[in-house]
Amino acid sequence: MDWNVIARNLGFMAGGLVLTFQLAALAIGGGLLLGILLGLCRVSSVSWIYYPSTAYVHFFRSQPLILVIFWFYFLVPILVGRPLGAFPSTVVAFICFEAAYFAEIVRGGLQSVSRGQTMAAYACGLRYSQVQLHVVIPQALRNMVPALTTQAVVIFQDTSLAYVIGLREFLRRVNLVDTREVRSVELYCFAGLVYLVLCSMGSILARRLEQRRGAAPA
Amino acid sequence: MIQIRQVSLWYRDGRKVVDNVSAEIRRGQTVVICGPSGSGKSSLLRCINGLERFQEGEILVDGISVSSPSTDLHALRAEIGMVFQHFELYPHMTVLDNITLAPRKVRKKTRQEAETKAMELLNRVGIPDKAAVYPGELSGGQQQRVAIARSLAMEPKAMLFDEPTSALDPEMIKEVLDVMVDLARSGMTMVVVSHEMGFAREVADEVIFMDAGRFIEKKATASFFASAENPRTREFLSRILT
Ligand SMILES: Nc1ncnc2c1ncn2[C@@H]1O[C@H](COP(=O)(O)OP(=O)(O)O)[C@@H](O)[C@H]1O
Ligand SMILES: [Mg+2]
Repeated sequence: MDWNVIARNLGFMAGGLVLTFQLAALAIGGGLLLGILLGLCRVSSVSWIYYPSTAYVHFFRSQPLILVIFWFYFLVPILVGRPLGAFPSTVVAFICFEAAYFAEIVRGGLQSVSRGQTMAAYACGLRYSQVQLHVVIPQALRNMVPALTTQAVVIFQDTSLAYVIGLREFLRRVNLVDTREVRSVELYCFAGLVYLVLCSMGSILARRLEQRRGAAPA
Repeated sequence: MIQIRQVSLWYRDGRKVVDNVSAEIRRGQTVVICGPSGSGKSSLLRCINGLERFQEGEILVDGISVSSPSTDLHALRAEIGMVFQHFELYPHMTVLDNITLAPRKVRKKTRQEAETKAMELLNRVGIPDKAAVYPGELSGGQQQRVAIARSLAMEPKAMLFDEPTSALDPEMIKEVLDVMVDLARSGMTMVVVSHEMGFAREVADEVIFMDAGRFIEKKATASFFASAENPRTREFLSRILT
């Protein structure tokens, strides 16, 4: 055992962690925004809004994330006409993929807001966008906090899949160090510990959020 | 003010929930609609402000047809307040924000204008000290009074009430009815679905008994109570006037 291998390469690996965080933040932020839009479409009674969004959600939920990452890595350059680089294409892949999962969480959240609430809001003369923005979405988000934070933690872990297209996020860098130093046990134990600590912190934060939500009058 | 002309409404199953009803509510009048559960009272109220589309007939509010494609329903709804059985206050907003939301977003009032008006209304409904509180911390009666204030904040031309006291504990009914009586006396045009016959006697100009989508009995208040003709009306009255 040579635990010094970690200290020796800490800076390099931490650099990957920065990339992991950036990717996770963009995937969660962008995925949630797109997911809210898709979720709104999924509860629409207008068929040309409902069916395409449903098809989208169904499609991405039936694909393995790793394939979607590949897919965007090779497809997006063709569409755009020039290579995009691993990071942007991964970000787009994650946003498109995670949006499908967020959409289903959002749909459930939107449906948890009663019809009486939307009627009351419409009865005051508010428009669709105002009703959603001020009355439905804030209540839906509250109800969705547990599912959203679980999904965020999953996304954080899933960012490691970006190694397949050579993105040097945290796990990929650990892997690179291992190729050079051949210290698999120490390095992967360390990687596991890092994910454990970060995800635990995420869970604690989530519980805080929920408790605050519970304390606020329902 | 509100003209209802031969309106019929049905949902998917095709059964007429509102069946060829007509009425006219003049400016400043209060009309009370009573009738058993499921008789179509709520559906009819929702037709008046266009929350529900009806298949036949016509409803005019201040001369504007609710069902005409050229009508701006949002603008029309801004002129008609609605109060619900279960209050439907927004639970994530304070009382003050509940009241000021629509005036700010629809009437484009500044926050300060809207809040000044809101405080005035909270005074009027007797709970000026609850502005900063969340609805969940209020009693049912207080919540319903906030809901009335929320409607009034839009300075509506008419108000619709859908069983405003049915979900309240008996001791809270009076505080809400008192506010409604004041409102009726101040000249508000009101359509009230309610079984509070005391309220009807006190302020209603007309009382309607609705059953299975139809207006079975529709009379000026005094004669409604003195000489209801239909046996179903009389049976209903004897049941709720015990
Ligand atoms: N949105 C709806 N879709 C289908 N049926 C409905 C809907 N709203 C009400 N109904 C039905 O219409 C009938 C009248 O309901 P409602 O207007 O709520 O009566 P009331 O307010 O007098 O109790 C009931 O049989 C009810 O089940
Ligand atoms: Mg009803």
